[in-house]
Amino acid sequence: MIELCNVSKSFAAATPAVSDFSLKIESGAFFVLIGPSGCGKSTVLRMINAMILPDKGQIEVHGQDIRETEPEKLRRGIGYVIQSAGLFPHWTAADNILAVPRLLKWSPSKSAARLAALVAMLRIDPALLKRYPKQLSGGQQQRIGVARALAADPDIILMDEPFAALDPVSRGELQQEISGIHARSGKTIVFVTHDMDEALLLATGMAVMNNGRLIQAGAPASILLAPADDFVRDFLGGEALQLRLLDLVPVRKLMKPGKTGATGTIAAEASLKTALNLMLASRRMSLCVADESGARLGEIHLSDIVARRDAR
Amino acid sequence: MPKVHDRVLLALFSLGIAVVFFGGFLNNAPNRLAMGVAYPLSQAPALEAAAAMTGLCGLGLLSFARRRKLRSFATILAAALILWGSLAGAGHFAALLMKAGPPAARASLGPAFWTLASVAILAIVDAVQRGNFSFPARLCIGAAFCPGFFLMAAAGDFDSLSLAREFWNNRGIFVSELLHHLELVCAAILFALMIGVPLTVLVMRKKAAAGFVFASLGILQTIPSIALFGVLIAPMSRLSELLPLLRGLGISGTGPAPAVLALTLYALLPLVRGFYTGFSEVAMEVKDAAAAIGFGWRRLFIEVELPLALPALISGLRVVTIQAIGLASVAALIGAGGLGTFIFQGIGQYALDLVLVGAIPVILLALLANFIFEMLLGLARRNL
Repeated sequence: MIELCNVSKSFAAATPAVSDFSLKIESGAFFVLIGPSGCGKSTVLRMINAMILPDKGQIEVHGQDIRETEPEKLRRGIGYVIQSAGLFPHWTAADNILAVPRLLKWSPSKSAARLAALVAMLRIDPALLKRYPKQLSGGQQQRIGVARALAADPDIILMDEPFAALDPVSRGELQQEISGIHARSGKTIVFVTHDMDEALLLATGMAVMNNGRLIQAGAPASILLAPADDFVRDFLGGEALQLRLLDLVPVRKLMKPGKTGATGTIAAEASLKTALNLMLASRRMSLCVADESGARLGEIHLSDIVARRDAR
Repeated sequence: MPKVHDRVLLALFSLGIAVVFFGGFLNNAPNRLAMGVAYPLSQAPALEAAAAMTGLCGLGLLSFARRRKLRSFATILAAALILWGSLAGAGHFAALLMKAGPPAARASLGPAFWTLASVAILAIVDAVQRGNFSFPARLCIGAAFCPGFFLMAAAGDFDSLSLAREFWNNRGIFVSELLHHLELVCAAILFALMIGVPLTVLVMRKKAAAGFVFASLGILQTIPSIALFGVLIAPMSRLSELLPLLRGLGISGTGPAPAVLALTLYALLPLVRGFYTGFSEVAMEVKDAAAAIGFGWRRLFIEVELPLALPALISGLRVVTIQAIGLASVAALIGAGGLGTFIFQGIGQYALDLVLVGAIPVILLALLANFIFEMLLGLARRNL
């Protein structure tokens, strides 16, 4: 668990970077800090591993004030991923991944076993391990960067716009990877982004920030359904807000058992947005819903999507 | 019209031809002071002159050769022919002239000789670079020329040349002055490092101090070297008068102490600037990531910053070393010794060949230092 209490931080500028910020992040959450650039979200993230010390307030990790732990020791227990990967250019990919185990003086056999596990987990091509960062593509570099953050198996991982500089394909792949790792491992991930689609795809909890202040925190759906103010509403996408909401609801929720002979097929776990997209593309008013094995479960109708109650 | 594949070779060939036809190959004077008579290459012994001309024309023809590897090898052979022709030609020609002339007569090397030798060396350097020879191959090529030169010297081929005579007359003190020179350079670099490293730390830590430090070092750098050497005499002699301890260490207004001090001052700006640039250019996000995953500042410095800045540090040291090797020649003016001794003696006695006895080793030392630092740089950049 991570808890920030009334935290403030000012740099040289007149306006504080973060002011009176309080937030509680439960263990196992995929928590996304979102807001426009310069809103202080990265500062909040960097205060969690003591890279930036707050002027006021208190930060606790696992119930302990971070000022009571030696910063190096604290940071070795918290994974960290930044936008440009920040790999060491003079180390091979394998050495980069094992940076923290080396700091923790793991035995070579333990390190080798962990490396093998990470390579499998993140589906890294073993041929890349001997290469230097400049010989890797941006996506490959960030995959190594994520592996480095996971190397010593920390409970908490901080990610500062990790996928913002990647091409859409690599970004999508890595989002899937990290989402899967979170689901399987139950690690706490604190993730900074300014990309609302990314946030909605990954988050189990979310905090919207502006001008160094926390505007609204909660589950993504509750924020989408009840934006606290105009800023949040605009930031969530203004007009497109309704479409974003469709992204959060699976087809299963609005499915009906009817058998009117709808033709196109959609998976039960797909989002309503995918369903709507498919209806528009195939010019159908209804779709047939199937489970993973392809067995027919029921139908979904355009009228039900339009009339669904959570939208209001 | 055949196509020119190597413009460098063609240019070297044209330069060589022009100077061979219009410049003297050997200068023959009845004594050190008298004006001499310039003899062209065509009057040198026929075999050697023909070899040099064949090699030179070979370079001209090779500039039309298409295959790069073959051209590189042939160029090295042609250049070797030029080198042998001009060296042996000058030596044997001088021996002939000396036999006929008075005992005080001098045969000094003329512009045609120097041009031919430079053309040959430049052609070899160019060929080695274009041929993409591996490092050991380069070393072998370089090494192959040295025994040739020393064999010719041992056989007495150069004994009649006044350059060789000047060298021979000064052979007793040559080695000690060479060592003196190296001592001055090494001491200056050592002191520059002792002052420069803390200065680098200062300018890295306090950006406000950086402007002041660089401005002061910049002003030092603009003082002409002879002036700085001279200016230091007064305060240094005063110091040694006041402090007997310093006097006991051999520190006085003239001699090695002020020379080392001046060389150190000159070394500081390039050294600190090189080091500062090196450390500043280590990517911020790499340092940031290292700190964020738990590197302490000491590990961060030793394992991340130092290796990443190393190429720039070596480049800085290279500039400083080569500069110090050249500047140390001036130190002879204030009695610090070194190879400059021959240069200033030569100027004083109007013996240009004596000047060369000092100048050529200085150039060779600088080239050697450059070569060594290139090698270190290659090692440091291996994984970057």
